[in-house]
Amino acid sequence: MITLKNIEKVYQTKTIETVALHNVNLHIPKGEFVSVMGPSGCGKSTLLNIMGLLDEPTNGIVEIDGKPISRYRDNELAHIRNQKIGFVFQSYHLINDLSVLDNVELPLLYRSGTSAAETRHMALTALEKVGLSARTKHYPTQLSGGQRQRVAIARALIGQPEIILADEPTGNLDSVMGEEIMNILLNLNRQDGTTIVMVTHDENMAQKTERLIRFFDGQQVSDAKTNAYDFQQV
Amino acid sequence: MIRHLFKLIWNRKKSNFLLISEIFFCFLVLFAVLSLVVYNVRNYSKPLGFEYDNVWLLTSRADIDSTELRIAVEQQLAQKIRSYGEVEGTALVSSNSPFAFSQMKVWAQVEGGPRILVENIDVEDTFAEVLQLNVSAGRWFTKQDDAARYESVVINRVLQQELFGAESAVGKLITRNDSSQVQIIGVVDHYRGSSEYSEESPVLFTRINQQKVAVFWGEMLIRVKPGTGIAFEERMVKDLSGIAKNWTLELTTVEKMRQTKEKLSLVPMIAMAVVCGFLIFNVALGLFGVLWYNISRRNGEIGLRRALGASANQVYRQFIGEVLVLATFGLVLGVAFAVQFPLLQVFEVESIVYFIALGIAVGLIYLLAIGCAFYPSRQAAAIHPALALHEE
Ligand SMILES: Nc1ncnc2c1ncn2[C@@H]1O[C@H](COP(=O)(O)OP(=O)(O)OP(=O)(O)O)[C@@H](O)[C@H]1O
Ligand SMILES: [Mg+2]
Repeated sequence: MITLKNIEKVYQTKTIETVALHNVNLHIPKGEFVSVMGPSGCGKSTLLNIMGLLDEPTNGIVEIDGKPISRYRDNELAHIRNQKIGFVFQSYHLINDLSVLDNVELPLLYRSGTSAAETRHMALTALEKVGLSARTKHYPTQLSGGQRQRVAIARALIGQPEIILADEPTGNLDSVMGEEIMNILLNLNRQDGTTIVMVTHDENMAQKTERLIRFFDGQQVSDAKTNAYDFQQV
Repeated sequence: MIRHLFKLIWNRKKSNFLLISEIFFCFLVLFAVLSLVVYNVRNYSKPLGFEYDNVWLLTSRADIDSTELRIAVEQQLAQKIRSYGEVEGTALVSSNSPFAFSQMKVWAQVEGGPRILVENIDVEDTFAEVLQLNVSAGRWFTKQDDAARYESVVINRVLQQELFGAESAVGKLITRNDSSQVQIIGVVDHYRGSSEYSEESPVLFTRINQQKVAVFWGEMLIRVKPGTGIAFEERMVKDLSGIAKNWTLELTTVEKMRQTKEKLSLVPMIAMAVVCGFLIFNVALGLFGVLWYNISRRNGEIGLRRALGASANQVYRQFIGEVLVLATFGLVLGVAFAVQFPLLQVFEVESIVYFIALGIAVGLIYLLAIGCAFYPSRQAAAIHPALALHEE
């Protein structure tokens, strides 16, 4: 699905040079649920941005479905993001002036050939999946943090992406709400086969995924199947 | 996408209110100024009905009580002027000669019809020739009018239409100033003597008949041959001063009078255009500033849209589109207000003037909006998605 080869990311500011990622090699196969852990500032978000084609590595190759993306132009990258990738952020990133339904529909706005009725139907289905069918007319500010994140997940999955990149999706939520979000993601992965890469600071959450990659100072320090994976395999 | 933009702007109507009202007022001012400009330009492009090139105006004044004496001198002057080879003709005229700052209004009325206020111009028979009027129906004044039963008058087509509509006016009797009956003997195509920038108003030409009523007119139009210059002018004034000793003689060209009148029309238009220009510049600055500010405030949204699959170009188009939608909101309000002018006929101006002004104003506002949105929108499109998302 996604392959990173010798990825290097250096942030160059006037005074300092920060190496955010160094020599990262990763392969995420289709259908896997991977969690990424590591201390603050170790490059997790940077990694997700590069995987999600929002940022370019300083060096190295990113391949989506076996094709290196360096050849693509901006609008082609946008197209791939739209078709294949769904994003979930720690701070939700909902547009407050749009209703829940309109927020969820956003990705389809950038996809030609979907009728308004179809879009509506898909948005309602996505909201149903995250258990928010009753809140479609609400505005983000009228929702709890957990509900907002569910809207964001509905938005990520409306376009039926093959991969969801989640950057600390439960980071702003208490454990009960975090649990809910985690269950939604687990369901997505198991039922729909969606590939998920999730950054988390929560060891328990990470242990529920199949594979756990640990980062330190921009480098992978471990990459292993979790107990959950073993459990699943049995 | 357009629906999405309308929804977005509508949901943000509170924060967009200021911009929308700015566009609204800017549109109204533009509409007002353009209405005036269109009105003037349209009038300017219409025929005057006379030729003023090579026509001079001699004004003579004298400190003599005796009207007979003054008339006699005026006759001598006319004779002398006509004797020059450079002169093609002269015509006495009342003080409301072409482009003069003088008016003479009388009432005209067809029996049973409404009274119409018209400009009355007293002219000699030679007037039509000197100013090259075009008589489209009937005839101009001749000697035979001396013996006419009713006093003969010539009118312009505007007056003909107001008095008789489509019917012919020639031969008809009208009442002038509620007292005397006069007979229309001819109709001229056009006569727009007050200014090139004003509309043609109804005109009634009355025949100067010194045998019947002796009047000292003091104004004489002189048509000279093309190319007649200052040397002849000086010579003539010197000769005339010899005839009319101690008189005040003033010789000017109708062209100069036209220029004076033109200034009077152009100055307010230019002043308004300058004020309007400042206002638009202000609105443009405001628009630009708000758009700029909006974009920096909406970094997160821009990053998000990019993440969801918007290309840089789509972000650019979205921001331009938003401004156009904003402008549309302001314009809908503005147009709703502006169309009241033609609908209610607030001023006596043809509706088409308003509609042309309205169309141009709408176009200009859209151009202004796009112009102001261009650079901020490009900046928005250039925002790096990862950075924008990071900043939130
Ligand atoms: N735009 C930027 N310019 C300069 N340096 C940056 C930029 N973005 C990130 N960095 C640096 O790169 C390193 C990795 O940042 P990153 O956001 O990927 O960390 P993270 O692992 O996601 O941290 P956290 O857990 O706090 O979210 C940090 O040292 C950070 O300061
Ligand atoms: Mg991070």
